[in-house]
Amino acid sequence: MESLACKMNTNVRDIAIPNDWDRRGLPGWCYHSPALLELEKEKLFKTHWQIACHVSDIPEAGSFQCFDMCDERAIILRDPNNEVRAYYNICRHRGSRLVVKEQGTCPNALICPFHGWVYNLDGTLRGPGRPESFPQMDKSKFGLRPIEMEVWQGFVFVRFRPGPQPSVAELMRPFEEEAAAYKMDQHVPTDGIWTEKSPVNWKSVRDVDNEGYHVAMAHPALQDLYGSTYKDEPFVDGVSRSDGEFTPTKGRRWAVRNYKKMSMPQSFLPEHLQKRWLYYGIFPNSVIAVTPETVLFYQEFPVATGESVLRSATYRNETENRQQRAARYLAARIDRETVDEDIQLTIWSNEAMASDSFEGFYLSDLEYGVRSHHDHLRKVLPIYTLDDAPNEDELSALNTSMQHTGQT
Amino acid sequence: MTPPKPNTVEFNKQKTILYARVGPPGSGAARYAAAMYFYNMKLMPVEMLEIYRRCSKFDDEDPNDLATYEGVQDCLLDFSTSLRKKT
Repeated sequence: MESLACKMNTNVRDIAIPNDWDRRGLPGWCYHSPALLELEKEKLFKTHWQIACHVSDIPEAGSFQCFDMCDERAIILRDPNNEVRAYYNICRHRGSRLVVKEQGTCPNALICPFHGWVYNLDGTLRGPGRPESFPQMDKSKFGLRPIEMEVWQGFVFVRFRPGPQPSVAELMRPFEEEAAAYKMDQHVPTDGIWTEKSPVNWKSVRDVDNEGYHVAMAHPALQDLYGSTYKDEPFVDGVSRSDGEFTPTKGRRWAVRNYKKMSMPQSFLPEHLQKRWLYYGIFPNSVIAVTPETVLFYQEFPVATGESVLRSATYRNETENRQQRAARYLAARIDRETVDEDIQLTIWSNEAMASDSFEGFYLSDLEYGVRSHHDHLRKVLPIYTLDDAPNEDELSALNTSMQHTGQT
Repeated sequence: MTPPKPNTVEFNKQKTILYARVGPPGSGAARYAAAMYFYNMKLMPVEMLEIYRRCSKFDDEDPNDLATYEGVQDCLLDFSTSLRKKT
């Protein structure tokens, strides 16, 4: 069954690892250049699809979820017609944050806490505070600014600026059938959206997450769960895929042993997905992961060259029984352990980039996913191809010039 | 923008919100939003709208009490009368 799944993907994606490939990673300077970070924010993060939340985070009219990233802020809300909408969380008056809480419900309208401008849930302006102090206003010109949004399998994606990616549906087409089996859109929240700051460059997070070479060394629980069955497909056209099937062993570790015992067939899943954990990487910084019990997303955003925000949320089947709930708890325990281990790895990987004596990555075939991600980065920002750090003041202009001359 | 028509579902909904019990979280903001709705219909005087704006962050503050305290109860009466005429 496993080979069937792989075959399905190889039919549409060339996931073969070349025989002779450049095993280097990005040069160290890319991990601590403030000028590059600004370019990354503008040309990668704001112009590529980002997961803001899941439709179940905003279950009823007036429910909202805020999403801040790289100096931009969005509010995702459900309008009275049950439509999901995305706006900049910015009042049209003075630019104040319109909604202050991360999540909640605005039963009637959105009200700016600064001067009391009132917006309908469809984004139109109901009226400014102290309306008599303004000349006759064309309210249609002062509605909330919408953000490009797309719902895919229940996940709400936003894009702050137009960018090179196709629609999310088009991007994820190679995995559409497989992902649809999980009925992700019918899942419900578990314990909300988790965020944590990590003292690393965002690319160090990706560099760790994009390969499974380290699993046997660093993640004893995952090794115990799916061990040698784990495999990575590299990034092709903006998406990657990794998966591991439960090994037939009982499990040596408490959480894994009991998870394997508790995890039971889900009626909606085909047989080959019943005992599998799957990860879809979405360039540049997001992952949707599925297990028989849960769907989850995780992502990271840059704050500074040496600081990132990690953000994640897990959703469950709405009708889980007690055994499935226990299995979900155990899966979360395995996952939590893995996250802690990965955070440590990202710190070690990131600090290497600050050392003059480190000569750069020399990647295994098992780490081709890292290379494929870097190749995607180089395609967007050719400046990554420079071995030596350019002058910070000239970096942006140099990148533009390299783009014009087709240097990638 | 065309002013909303009275006696519609929306009109009644906003009236319910405006007169909802003082106290529940978010009720101050909801009342102010409803007040803006009635202001747009030219049913609420601007002085009362301002009372609701000032109360919008305080769910426990009754706008009618503040209107009385501020001496704009005539506006409150005007509003109640015009609302009655429309319903």
